[in-house]
Amino acid sequence: MSQQITLHVNGKDHGIEVEPDSMLLYALRDNLSLRGPKFGCGLSECGACTVLMDGKAVHSCITPVSAVGAAKVVTLEGLGTAEHPHPLQTAFIEEQAAQCGYCINGMIMHAASLLEQNPHPSRDNIKTALNGNLCRCGTHMRIVRAVERAAGRVNG
Amino acid sequence: MNTKSRDMQSGADLAVSRRAFLKSSGGLVVAFSLFGPPASADTAQQSVAPPPADKLYAWLAVHPDNTATLFTGKVETGTGVQTALAQIAVEELDFPFDRLRVVMGTTSKTVDQGPSYGSMTVRYAGPQIRHAAAAGRQALLDLAAKHFGVHSNQLVAKEGTISVLGSPGRKITYGKLVDGKRLNIEIGASGERFGMKVAPKALLKDPSTYTVVGKPIARKDIPDKIMARFTYVQDVRVEGMLHGRVVRPYGVEATLLSVDETGLKNIPGFVQVVRRDNFLGVVAETEWAAIQAAAKLGSVLKPSGPDAGQAKWSNWNGLPQVDRIWETVRKTAEGRNESAVSQGSAAMAFAYAGRTLKATYKTPFQMHGSIGPSCAVADVKGDRATLWSGTQMPHETRRDMAKLLGIPLDGIEVRWFEASGAYGRNGLEHVVADAAIMSQAVGRPVRVQWMRWDEHGWEPKEPPIVQDLQGALDDAGHVSAWQHHMWIPTTGDTHLIAAALIGKPDVTGHTGQGRPAVTYAYDFPNADVACHGEGRVGLLTAWLRSPAQFETTFAMESFIDELAAATKQDPLAFRLAHLKDPRAIAVLKAAAQKYGWESRPAGVKSDPNGKPAHGRGIAWVNRDDSLVATIADVTVDPASGRIKVGRVVVAHDCGLVINPDGLKNQIEGNIIQSISRTLHEEVTFDTAHVTSRDWQGYPILRFEEIPDRIDIVLVNNTPEYLSTGAGEPSTCPTAAVIGNAVFDAIGVRLRQTPFRPDRVKAAMS
Repeated sequence: MSQQITLHVNGKDHGIEVEPDSMLLYALRDNLSLRGPKFGCGLSECGACTVLMDGKAVHSCITPVSAVGAAKVVTLEGLGTAEHPHPLQTAFIEEQAAQCGYCINGMIMHAASLLEQNPHPSRDNIKTALNGNLCRCGTHMRIVRAVERAAGRVNG
Repeated sequence: MNTKSRDMQSGADLAVSRRAFLKSSGGLVVAFSLFGPPASADTAQQSVAPPPADKLYAWLAVHPDNTATLFTGKVETGTGVQTALAQIAVEELDFPFDRLRVVMGTTSKTVDQGPSYGSMTVRYAGPQIRHAAAAGRQALLDLAAKHFGVHSNQLVAKEGTISVLGSPGRKITYGKLVDGKRLNIEIGASGERFGMKVAPKALLKDPSTYTVVGKPIARKDIPDKIMARFTYVQDVRVEGMLHGRVVRPYGVEATLLSVDETGLKNIPGFVQVVRRDNFLGVVAETEWAAIQAAAKLGSVLKPSGPDAGQAKWSNWNGLPQVDRIWETVRKTAEGRNESAVSQGSAAMAFAYAGRTLKATYKTPFQMHGSIGPSCAVADVKGDRATLWSGTQMPHETRRDMAKLLGIPLDGIEVRWFEASGAYGRNGLEHVVADAAIMSQAVGRPVRVQWMRWDEHGWEPKEPPIVQDLQGALDDAGHVSAWQHHMWIPTTGDTHLIAAALIGKPDVTGHTGQGRPAVTYAYDFPNADVACHGEGRVGLLTAWLRSPAQFETTFAMESFIDELAAATKQDPLAFRLAHLKDPRAIAVLKAAAQKYGWESRPAGVKSDPNGKPAHGRGIAWVNRDDSLVATIADVTVDPASGRIKVGRVVVAHDCGLVINPDGLKNQIEGNIIQSISRTLHEEVTFDTAHVTSRDWQGYPILRFEEIPDRIDIVLVNNTPEYLSTGAGEPSTCPTAAVIGNAVFDAIGVRLRQTPFRPDRVKAAMS
């Protein structure tokens, strides 16, 4: 049965009616009309659906809505705005680090989580952090450069 | 659920906020969002025919705020071609790049310029747009001449403004001149699609004066993609829309015996099952309900049998054996022999040759592997159909859907939105048919997205190929005879999956035949290159990035290396000694210079002793007049059999480059994707269906495996050289480069992709 559930997403509470065992990804995309998180596999294998939950990168395609509770969810939309983009967003644009761009949500969200935990990542740290995220266009070189560029900026 | 239409929403946003558009200077603006009606079903009275190519308005609109729109039937697939075409247009139009939008693909707003495939967009659509934009500039000058009462040769156009020479105060913007009117001006057009000539009399600029073409301008689409403002086809939401999922047969050609609907009605939001012959789908109010219902019927990652789900299928087992697929390919093609090169007498030369080498190369089924599974929205009512699609060929899809649905062409519109990258034709055409059939059945708009196993299991694949090579060497170490025979199933079978399932397999599409996908450029005195082509062998196929030429280049450029090694010659010098094409020689030399190539035979230092060994490899290709030479370093760990690619150097000649940074992005993508295809990728199947149904079963390259660096040199980037394609060619040499480098490192020749660790170890022992 559908239930009324409150999700805290991008700084606001949203009351939605969903199946508690349905996945967070569909609530974000279909109930809240967000487009950052993408359906890629539904199997936690590609990272396209990544969001931050209390600052940690999680795969929303396998996270039941019932497991979110009071956690603060941040999607790519909530990371930065046109006026105040997140340093990662600025860096990805400057490095032209996208081709089709479908995977980029996951790249940025995972990188954001990395920079929270490790503001001075080495190139190897970045590759390890993003190793669970798949990109089919082969934009990897630019993605790594963009994260390095953002890290440099975050660190001043 | 949220019922606000994403389509309407984006249109409204754009209509009220030109300023925001200009500020972001990004974002794919879709035709109807700006000028057309909203995206609900109220389009019944609108004409949906494409505009006539001989009218300026078919290509260009100038708006009162002095922004402009370029319309093109070509589409963006992640390659940056939207930006490249915009650069070509503003160059001729003398208009600010940031004020030009590009509307792509939507069939009611654009001219059919042929599908966006084969690295042909810049090469063929580029000149069409260049001419249309030049005609636009002339038309604006004519309008200004009337406006100022002067001859147009007294006017100068710059950055969207026309001024009278010698009278600095007398100037007017394009927007004011056009004053909101449609550019109903005859410019002339003849031919169609790739061969169409547009505005043949338009006066073009001298390429030596270009200021926009050739500049590394930032891509128009990237900011919105990074800021989550972009609308992919996967993001399209239409008012009143239902969610659909397909339930494919257990075996590829199995028959649907029965469907037990028990329990489906208990799924909140479930609407109905759609069944037509062997086509099976479910529709629901929510995505989650559709996924749950499809799972009950049998759509799961690992189905355990044809009657494991509530839909029962016949026990079909007609696929060939996966480990004997190359024998099957050879047998299927028996008797066919299409000669690509026949020079001298290879047979005679081999008969009298002092030294002869032979080798066989094998490559497997591979897949496009889009990160976002195929998706479409369809609204089919009576004799009207509106289809939201990310297809590479919207105009062809429109014609196909007319045939499939039995609706007159005049009633069908394809509204194009970019999809997740496809690298060829994947499931995007097929999912439109799925959505259309479901919408037709339920009388409401239906959005269908394939599950990961639908995509991996059913997207059309690159076929398996087997190639026999033979070379003869004379006493001086020259090649005296060359034979290259390839067995190639079709790389393009355009039959729609859904059409076959509803019992109309031949309503549209056809099965091609494998062709000799090779540009032979060596100068051997005796040569015999031939293709034994065939139609479908096993799984449905459709063009994957450099169809068949990725594979033929692997064989040709590996075997050249074998001949060089057999005579202890440097692989670069050996190639150069057998080449006359100056552009081929130029890319090889450019790559070697950038790399710092020192002359020595391959494999001479290979003494692994169980320790990681280093090697270098080289290969080149001519794919449709684009030439690429690649050199790479690899490290091979003999203990694990793992190959790691270190530095990669690419020399690339596609003539005049429109956007060098966009080109480099493409080349890097080609290199990484082709390393992935070389090291990891092989579709597996049993006799019923594809068994590599997710990223575990079909792994692709990950961050920890990417090269240390990719150095790129652009060759012949000048106006004397025609702009040819760049979306595919740099894929071709990679497998040979890596195979040759592995030989250099450990003295072992790999003749079958993918070079997975177990296969490397087997080759070593």
